[in-house]
Amino acid sequence: MPEAAVLTDPFTDMVGKLTTFNKALTTKTPIAQTPKELVWALNKAKLYRYIPVVPKEKRHPVPLLLVFALMSRPSILDLRPGHSFVEYMVNSGYDLYLLDWGVPGPEDKNLKFDDYCLDYLPRAIRKMKAVSGVEEFSMLGWCIGAILSTIYSCLRPDDGLRNLILLTAPLDFSNKENITFARWTDERYFDIDKLLAAFGNMPGEMIDYGARALKPVENYIVNYLKLWDNIENPQVIEAWQAMNTWVTDNIPMTGGTFRQLIVDLYRNDRLMRGEMMIRGERVDLSRLRANLLTVIAEGDHITPPCQSKAILSKVGSKDKELFSVPGGHIGIMAGSGANKRTWPKIDSWLAGRSK
Amino acid sequence: MSDEQAANGKPADPMEAFRDMRDNYLDAWAKAMVQTVNTDAYARTSGTVLDTYLSASSPFREAVEKAMLRVLEQLSMPSRADFVALADRVTNIEMHLDDMDAKLDRIEKLLTKPATAASSRNPRSTEPSRQKKQKAKGAK
Repeated sequence: MPEAAVLTDPFTDMVGKLTTFNKALTTKTPIAQTPKELVWALNKAKLYRYIPVVPKEKRHPVPLLLVFALMSRPSILDLRPGHSFVEYMVNSGYDLYLLDWGVPGPEDKNLKFDDYCLDYLPRAIRKMKAVSGVEEFSMLGWCIGAILSTIYSCLRPDDGLRNLILLTAPLDFSNKENITFARWTDERYFDIDKLLAAFGNMPGEMIDYGARALKPVENYIVNYLKLWDNIENPQVIEAWQAMNTWVTDNIPMTGGTFRQLIVDLYRNDRLMRGEMMIRGERVDLSRLRANLLTVIAEGDHITPPCQSKAILSKVGSKDKELFSVPGGHIGIMAGSGANKRTWPKIDSWLAGRSK
Repeated sequence: MSDEQAANGKPADPMEAFRDMRDNYLDAWAKAMVQTVNTDAYARTSGTVLDTYLSASSPFREAVEKAMLRVLEQLSMPSRADFVALADRVTNIEMHLDDMDAKLDRIEKLLTKPATAASSRNPRSTEPSRQKKQKAKGAK
């Protein structure tokens, strides 16, 4: 009956949209699919080498090591085929390595920056050099990974680091008014001892809540409205689902590291003031001599731009550059414009320095 | 249907005006919320909520931990502390293995490089030259 069909059509349409919406919300999509091989492992940390697709004679001789944050999966660097920084760099001829810190358990609650920077990173780098057969290397650190890379570069300036790329690096904590996390974790309001006594490690769900609560309307409402508005666009749904798969896969941060992050950095700004001690060694930023590219996200609410600028005046590098990109903390590397702005810039900057 | 829509060949969307209004409202709300969460009042409130939760849940958590420990003991099962101690030891062994791997790499490099250099200079000679010995010493 034609009348009945007219009446039920909007409902059928709505059911279809709701089904797609529910599926997008609840289904994990495959991410991090660029082929790679495991070359080293220690505790939960793993070093992967991406299988090169460019012949050896056409590859850049200096390998590149990716160091991501501790409390999120590094799969954001290799989100989905056709939209992956890893894939882009492998196709551009880099011998690419990824250090995946893994998921810390209760047994790792005492791990600190000291352990990551002086036990894990140097060992992974040694293995990378052995596998690639090259003594010099480049390193890209993102977010907390940028803190680890910076500390390592200052403490081990003669380890062969030629190029250092810092993405949205939270290094300068002096401007507390503009850093919401600094306000939240102020010692007047935030009892870190009590929290870590209860949980051991900083739970991933709490870190996720903190990141989302910085922009609550965008993260809790607009994000889902965007999906609903584009529910009939498979490309948007695919991109949204991939990002949602990554965002909802939270991992804890070791208690020791979280305490250092809050006490040494957010509260006392020890790295910039030259007072940060790692296993009895002072982290002196002027000892960082590698070529340096600092990438800033102009709309970053997690690491406001003011946190990443001051490093340039403190390091000993002669070749240093600041690159400012419109976008947010994650968007500059995983957003739709990343392959037009951030990735080509990193590639062009690095290519000239990887000969 | 407007001229523009007719030119695009798309039907008029009666919800468009509503969506625009909604987006404008959400934009304003989002900006206000970003400012709200970056205040001392919000920091103090969220800190108090967290503190209250930790204080309230602490007795239950401790009771469950103690009870669980007793149950595991009764069942002759290892506790979390046992696993933590074991994990420490395994990581320690892994580190020693990694150190050995590094040493083997260095030895292999020392052995292969001079041999390659010697064979390229004098293919028949198998005895390490003075230069090679010095190089090996320097590397150590």
